[in-house]
Parts: sequence; structure tokens; C-alpha cells
Amino acid sequence: MSSEKLLLGRTIETGSWVHKLDARGKIIGMLLYVAVILLSHSWPAMALLAVFSISVMASTRIPLKYFVKAAKPLRYLMLFIFIVQVLSIKEGEVWLTLGSLSLHQDGLRLGAFSVIRMLFLVSFTALLTFTTTPGKLNQGLEGILSPLKKIGMSPDRLTLMIGIALRFIPTILDESQIIMKAQASRGADLAELPLKEKARMLVSLLVPVISSAFRRAQDLVYSMEARGFRMDAPRTRYHRLRWGLADTVFICMFVVMGLAVAIL
Amino acid sequence: MIETNRLQNLEASEQPAVITLSGVSFGYDPKQPIFQDISLTIAQGQWVSLVGANGCGKSTLVKLLNALLPKSDGEIVVCGLQLNEENIGSIRQNIGMVFQNPDNQFIGATVEEDILFGLEGLCLEPIEMGHRLQVYTDKLGIAHLLDKHPGELSGGQKQRVAIASILAMEPGIVIFDEASSMLDEGSRNELLDILQRMRAEGKYTILMITHDADEILASDRVLALYGGGLAADMTPAELFSNDDLLDKCNLRMPFSWQLARELQKVGINTDVPASEKELIEKLWP
Repeated sequence: MSSEKLLLGRTIETGSWVHKLDARGKIIGMLLYVAVILLSHSWPAMALLAVFSISVMASTRIPLKYFVKAAKPLRYLMLFIFIVQVLSIKEGEVWLTLGSLSLHQDGLRLGAFSVIRMLFLVSFTALLTFTTTPGKLNQGLEGILSPLKKIGMSPDRLTLMIGIALRFIPTILDESQIIMKAQASRGADLAELPLKEKARMLVSLLVPVISSAFRRAQDLVYSMEARGFRMDAPRTRYHRLRWGLADTVFICMFVVMGLAVAIL
Repeated sequence: MIETNRLQNLEASEQPAVITLSGVSFGYDPKQPIFQDISLTIAQGQWVSLVGANGCGKSTLVKLLNALLPKSDGEIVVCGLQLNEENIGSIRQNIGMVFQNPDNQFIGATVEEDILFGLEGLCLEPIEMGHRLQVYTDKLGIAHLLDKHPGELSGGQKQRVAIASILAMEPGIVIFDEASSMLDEGSRNELLDILQRMRAEGKYTILMITHDADEILASDRVLALYGGGLAADMTPAELFSNDDLLDKCNLRMPFSWQLARELQKVGINTDVPASEKELIEKLWP
């Protein structure tokens, strides 16, 4: 089933301390981590970043290969960024000259930094979805966005929308597969067509997929309304968000890291 | 078995009415009504099958009961509450609905979230939610599936989750809208089993849209929709002895009935059996 290939948004339950943290804390932690990455500008900072990231990842007790897998789809982008950096930066000692192209020390260094940053950014932030169920993640997002209520926006609408979208992405992907196979079985195989024809065929795939998504939406609305759902009606929560000492420690860790890499 | 059904039917008719329709009509376009002037009463605790050919408006009719669709005309009273704008909320609390497509009624990302969706809407305390979660997942045998995604479940399992989500809200009336039509034979029998247990508990009034002969036979009473009106209100046994009506509603007799009839044609006399098992016992006592 295609949904099983989607590593994104899959929770891997190991019951570690990171799993037990408040989703709000984890979301804020990830935002701080992005800042930490942007502040890392030297080899010692990179080394510290690596040690920190890998030890936090290891503490989730999720095998490291899952984190590597999360970054794998971006390997070509990383390579591309590396090459662009290497070729465009013409500062520092020249290491190698090939005709008009020359390899500079700074180019190599900055290229390597970009790749390391990207690698850690993608694999480390995967920690958020690996350790938090979509429901809790959504609830955390709602918690973080709740100040928006004061200016008349409704974060619960947004999170309901995200929740339903996440719920139906695998279903609709599976269905697209079925429609593609149905079309292939009638001689319209997408895989064997030239690129231009492929684009045209895509329309004939999108129309049935979208129309069926509307049908699903109608059914879903019936089902939600039959269970008494009304927009903006009061609701209670079974799982309550609880901010504990561990969450404060978690956040502080990133702040300390940020300061440390800024100094290095 | 049919006799006991009748008895139950008699008993049930002495119970107070939970659903009353008088002169109800509906049409998307007022000039082309889908059905007109339907009046009926369903008593507390009854198990009613609603039958009819595809497109005759069965699903539409039950959707009027909790205002998923707006009626064009007539009056609907559910559990003593007149259906109007103010009462919609309370009426929806009294009616639970299980739909045909098990995928499209799965709201949560996991089984637990799906069951909680309705409970959170009822504004229950977390302790009560936890309690109901346990009771109803145990009852439907899905307690081990709580953290599963819908993609990891079979059709039958998804439909049991849907039923658990509805029963956990503790409605008095449960409507099944062709809930078994996308299930395989095994899951279908499981569903019938769940329904039998619900009847035995005596807490629920069941209204079931179905084409399945076994499901109809298990119910107390059959309502048949045909040509925009109520064509029949009878027991399942009466329905299955009426060839004209079966034809109108595109229904088939239960297998044991067909067999008994064929046997009678060749001179082997058997009474009309309630089930395959009964027929076998009659033939080889």
C-alpha cells in the first residue's frame, strides 16, 4: 500500500522521554533548532551541532537509520547546493584549477556547511513527526496558535482542516493508484508515454480523483454532522496538554545550544 | 423464530413511539418530489428494516430524521422532540448513524481519535470518555486497534469502529444506512451478530436500510418504499411471501426460503423456515 511508503507523518512509538513531551514544547523546540542551525558558522559549531543532534536523536530510541531515511529524498538537492556553492564562491586559497573553473577553500567549506545544515535540518525535524502522533501534533499547533483567537482568528478551524487533510492524504493517494491502474488496464499507461502526453494524461487522472474527493467530503460532512459536530461549538479534550519541567528543560537545551554555536 | 419476531413486534407496539413522521415529503426540486406524504411510527426498541430499489429515497428519508437534509413538508417528532432549528442538536444526540462507506465516515487519524471525535463534541469529562472508550471498544472487539490508522484496517474492522464511535455516544436510535453493502460475507455476518446483541440489550431502536435478505429476516418489521410512497409496512415473513413486492423492491428471498419453495414444488413439504439451520433440521430430523 502506498501509504506505508510515506515516512512523513508516521509516528514510531518507543515510549522515550521525547515521546512524552508536550507537543507545544516540541514544536517550539524545532523552531529554535532552525535558529541554531542558521547560527552555526564554524567547524567547532558544526561539530557541536552534530554531537547535540545525534545524541537527542539517539535518546528517542528510534533507530538512526529512520532519520537518515527522512533526509534521503533530498540527496540530489543537497548535491546541487554543494556544487553551486563550490563553483560560485571564489574566495580563499585556490586548491585546484581546471580551465576556467577553480576550486577555492571557502567554496568547499561553505558547500560542506550547507549540506550538513540541510542534512541535520531535515533529519532532526523528522523527530517531531516520529515522536508525536498527528492528533497530538495538531493539538500542540492549536495550543501555540491559540493567542490568534484574540484577533478574531480561529485556530481550531485550521487544525481541523489540517487533521482531515492528513487523514485523507493516504486514502486519496491509494485511490489515485487505483484509477491509474484502471486507466492502464484500458491501454492508457502513464509510465510509457512521452513527457508531453504524460502531462495531458494527468488531467484525465485529476478529474476523477478530485470529483471523488468531493464525494468523500460530502459523506464526511454527513458523518460529522450526524455525530453532532457544529463549527465553533464548545468541545472538551480527552488528552490535555500538560507543560512539565521536562518541556522547559527541552526548550532551554535549544536556547543554550543557540548561544553556544553563536559564540563558537 | 418468526413467531417470536411477531411477539416482539406486538410487545414493541405497546412501547412509546420514538420516531413519528406525519405527511413528510422531500424533493430537491419541489416539482419533482422524491417521496410524498409519508406517515409512520416506530416504537421504542423495534428493529425496522427499510427496503426499496436503488434511488427510491431510502437514504434520503433517514437523513431527514436528523436534519442532514431539510424536509420539504410534514412533521417529524423524534423522542418527543419536534424537529426544528432549535432541537436539531438534541435530536442528533438521540440518533446515531452508520453509513455505507467505511472509509468516508472515519474522521480521526486513528481509531481512538475517531471514537473521541463524537465524545469530545458531547463535552464529556475525560474520565467518562476514557470509560466509554474502554466499554465500547471491548464490546466491539476493537480494543487492540486503538492506535491504528484507517489504512491499516480491513473494511469490517472500519465498520466496527464506525459502530463503536456511534454507540459510545449512547444514542437511543441507531440508523444503519446500507452499512453492510461494502463488506464481505464474513464481516456481514459479524455485523448481523452485533445487531442481534444490540437487540438483546434492549436499549436501542434500530432502523436499517438494507438489501440483504438475512438482515431483513432478522428484523421485527419491514417498511418498503416504492414509487415515492410507503408501499408496505409488514413483517419480514409477509414480505418474503409477497412476490410482487419483492420484485418491486428488487429483493431476493433468503436462500432457505427459496430452497423450501423449490422443495414444495417437487412435493416435499416443509414449512417456511426461519434459517438454513432450521431447514436442515426439518429435512433430517
